[in-house]
Amino acid sequence: MTKRRDPKPGKDRHGHDHDDGGGGHHPAPETEVEIRARALEGLLREKGLIDESFIDSVVSAYENDIGPMNGARVVARAWVDREYRKRLLADATAAVAELGFGGPQGEHLVAVENTPTVHNVVVCTLCSCYPWPVLGLPPTWYKSAAYRSRVVREPRALLREMGLPLPDDVEIRVWDSSAEIRYLVLPERPAGSDGLGEEDLAKLVTRDAMIGTARP
Amino acid sequence: MAGPAALPRRNGELVFEAPWQGRAFGMALGVVQRLGLPWRAFQDELIAEIAARPDAPYYDCWLAALERLVVERRVASEPELAAARRRAEDEPA
Repeated sequence: MTKRRDPKPGKDRHGHDHDDGGGGHHPAPETEVEIRARALEGLLREKGLIDESFIDSVVSAYENDIGPMNGARVVARAWVDREYRKRLLADATAAVAELGFGGPQGEHLVAVENTPTVHNVVVCTLCSCYPWPVLGLPPTWYKSAAYRSRVVREPRALLREMGLPLPDDVEIRVWDSSAEIRYLVLPERPAGSDGLGEEDLAKLVTRDAMIGTARP
Repeated sequence: MAGPAALPRRNGELVFEAPWQGRAFGMALGVVQRLGLPWRAFQDELIAEIAARPDAPYYDCWLAALERLVVERRVASEPELAAARRRAEDEPA
């Protein structure tokens, strides 16, 4: 399974695929989904359910401010501060709030720690539940049917394919996000990082390490 | 992440592959909030759409789930949605 899943091109209104390299007979035709999205937005705005600036601000927030750099700061703090680590493991929602992170999909955060003998990995088998406040929005592969089913069925093999081979004596725990709980993996601090400050440590923490499909 | 020319990439991937996905995302948050619903109300529709069309692109399911929610909660009717789509087709963005 490849990590990166490229989107399939959509059909334009006249039923042509976009990947024919042509499309020269009209400029950037809207796909069917684009039309439906635009229609729905117009309708919802007409009915006063939403306004354009709300959507603009949500999009901007998730494109710019809310992302895995937030979780990386949480992890780095847990690496340097033993008491923070304990608080994070006891009540992740409260602990990440200490660093100013919270909001939708972060109401019931749970941090699960990796150790030399336990490796954690997170999935949402039914849809795409994901701890937005600390990781932003999930990558395409996380939402794929292949990941959602295989990580539960054969986690060790899947992780190896994704570039993370784990020895047999490391227990793999797969956390399937329930209705409310959102999981954040607390990776092990890498060897040789003792001299680094929090800011530099945060740079070592990748999104995939906080999902559990990689290590820093 | 610097400058308007820098595309929003996290770990090498775009947050939204196309603008309509961001709109659909924002709409779902807005509708749920406005109607005072738990997120679970939208999530259940999304789960159903993904189960019904496991090979469909994720945001196609998302948009369909939102349309279902809007109709289920009587925000709009199916004919209204259909009419809005026809208008959108006739009036390019």
